[in-house]
Amino acid sequence: MSKCPPRLKMTNRLHVLRAEHRLTQEQLAREIGVTRATIGAIEGGGYNPSLELAFRLARFFNTEINAIFSVEEEK
Amino acid sequence: MKRWDSILLKVFLYGLPAVIILAIFSYSYGLGKHSQISDKLTLLNGFVGLTLALWMLLLIYLNIRLMFSGSFRNKVLARITFIKEADEREVMLTGKATKTTFLTSLAILIFLFFLSCFQVSFYRVPPEKAIDGKTRVVSLNFGFNLLKASRKGNPDETMQKTDIFSYTRLPLSSTGVILLLILWQIISYNFSMQRLIKDEHRLR
Repeated sequence: MSKCPPRLKMTNRLHVLRAEHRLTQEQLAREIGVTRATIGAIEGGGYNPSLELAFRLARFFNTEINAIFSVEEEK
Repeated sequence: MKRWDSILLKVFLYGLPAVIILAIFSYSYGLGKHSQISDKLTLLNGFVGLTLALWMLLLIYLNIRLMFSGSFRNKVLARITFIKEADEREVMLTGKATKTTFLTSLAILIFLFFLSCFQVSFYRVPPEKAIDGKTRVVSLNFGFNLLKASRKGNPDETMQKTDIFSYTRLPLSSTGVILLLILWQIISYNFSMQRLIKDEHRLR
């Protein structure tokens, strides 16, 4: 029987990048085309964005997805 | 949504208070003594009847559009049920809340179906009809009709009996059940949505 794969936990540096660019959640949300609550949920780890939104965020900050999002195994 | 539908919807909504007033007038006209009613009032009542008939035709048309037009349904029902899908996160939350609502509604429907099929009664029969000297009887029935059928005379019912407790089918009208289910859908969806948003905040 195959072993159950370990759960992965997504972490992100969105709040750091946002602070570096001196943007409020509202401003970033408007630029990306989502609601402020969604930016808050991503930063807080309550919501994992779709690949499309992740690419949009990476493109907006002129960086790679890996520079914003990373995964680690849940203990 | 077609422009025509949008106009008719506005006529329906903005005309609603006027229609209620006209319906009250029509009802009070019906209560009045005909000998005291002037010709002008009779003419006015005819106009009110025509207006109500037109408004009802509009209601039927809008109901048909709700069933067959996807865009009209999305716009009208999404507003009535407070569905918000501003971005992908809200779409995902809506999906989860809708799933919860669908499953709970299905559970309620199954329960109501069971209640509508089930019949139980405790009653006393006269001593001459008693079986083995027992005058207290428990009767359990389970069955359903797909179509409304006229009830045939049951020999048990003609028998002289005193009901102690009797439950025969759901004590709600079909209109009442439909209205309750509509309200349930809206309440359940909004409650699930609130709970999902709270869970999201708790994870932070």
